[in-house]
Amino acid sequence: MNDLGRRLARIAFDERGADILLMMAENQGNVGPVIISKGQDPGDARIDVPYQLVAILTNLLPFIGKAKVAILCRRCDEKALIELAKRGIVDDASMVRIGLACSKEQIQACRCSDCVPSKVDIGEAAEPCPEDALAIELGSMTIEQRAAFWMRQFRKCNKCFGCTLNCPVCFCDDCVLEERTYTPKEGIPPELAFHLIRSFHLADKCVECGECERSCPVDIPLLTLRKMVNRDMKNMFDYGSGDAEKKSPLLTTLDDQPLEDDGHAC
Amino acid sequence: MTEFKPTILAFCCNWCSYAGADLAGVNRLQMPPNVHVIRVMCSASVKPEYVFKAISQGVDGVLVLGCHIGDCHYLTGNHRTAKRIPVTKKILHDVGIDDRRVRLDWVSAAEGEKFQQVIIEFVAEIKTLGPNPQREVNM
Repeated sequence: MNDLGRRLARIAFDERGADILLMMAENQGNVGPVIISKGQDPGDARIDVPYQLVAILTNLLPFIGKAKVAILCRRCDEKALIELAKRGIVDDASMVRIGLACSKEQIQACRCSDCVPSKVDIGEAAEPCPEDALAIELGSMTIEQRAAFWMRQFRKCNKCFGCTLNCPVCFCDDCVLEERTYTPKEGIPPELAFHLIRSFHLADKCVECGECERSCPVDIPLLTLRKMVNRDMKNMFDYGSGDAEKKSPLLTTLDDQPLEDDGHAC
Repeated sequence: MTEFKPTILAFCCNWCSYAGADLAGVNRLQMPPNVHVIRVMCSASVKPEYVFKAISQGVDGVLVLGCHIGDCHYLTGNHRTAKRIPVTKKILHDVGIDDRRVRLDWVSAAEGEKFQQVIIEFVAEIKTLGPNPQREVNM
């Protein structure tokens, strides 16, 4: 275990009383997510790999039970946990968040405008990136040029579902995109509706972590699309994901009264 | 070149707009024949998925018609629609599809004439927009 790992373990187990710790570690040259309890040695801890631990956590939840989990959280992970807690998927009280401030390079790669966690334990807070250059460029294009750009991008899609599987806020057990009505079994690329449906489902919960873009094997600028839709949500409803106080506008009436369902379904 | 005849889907809610369409028919109000009416129980059962699927398969325009706000048979069904459809339109706009191809309107059971008006206006608008570019993609 390296110094960083020891420091993480000390914060998680000794200072904040967690039972298990979820983090990224390098073992025999491979970096992957690991879960350890006190005293275990997972190999060298790594924080430079921008992996969405929240997506792992939601898969592990049925096996964790009542244990108190410490999780290494960037600002986007933190927002994802808030979104999941709002929908009753995770219990916020049983989480110990270890705040991780992203490096400058990482912020540039994500074009991140909200990058400092509420409590910084590891790393140093850096300046946020003002805006997504591609989104601005697309905004200034004519509608035909924009269509041409996105159709060229979406044509590359090979329906790997990487964007869905690695998404920290995709929590449905039965994903609507896996229904044959929307995504037929045969044929790539999937029709345009695939990306549009995904955009809609993430409209009120995307935390702009950029995992969809990173996991995309054909480099579709999905994060830019997410940012564009999030900006629309901000303009229309003054709503941003990751706000614990505000309920999603899609789950309230026009007078901001909650609708009947609990928002558990997508 | 033949004249462009748009294909339009109209999702009509069972309690208001479908009855409004019925009234328009009974009153023999003339309207363009391009519209395929799909009867749904509530405008809130029109998932954005349906709209996206229709547009990406080359349908030229999608109309979503429901009860006026406050008149919903299920009390708050159309509130949900009123929030969803604008988001749907924004997403279409973001990927470069003209959002005038989707229209949300309220037609009550007594408004046969409004139904006629909405259909005439929408068909005329879609005619000026031209065929859905997605249609060629799917051919």
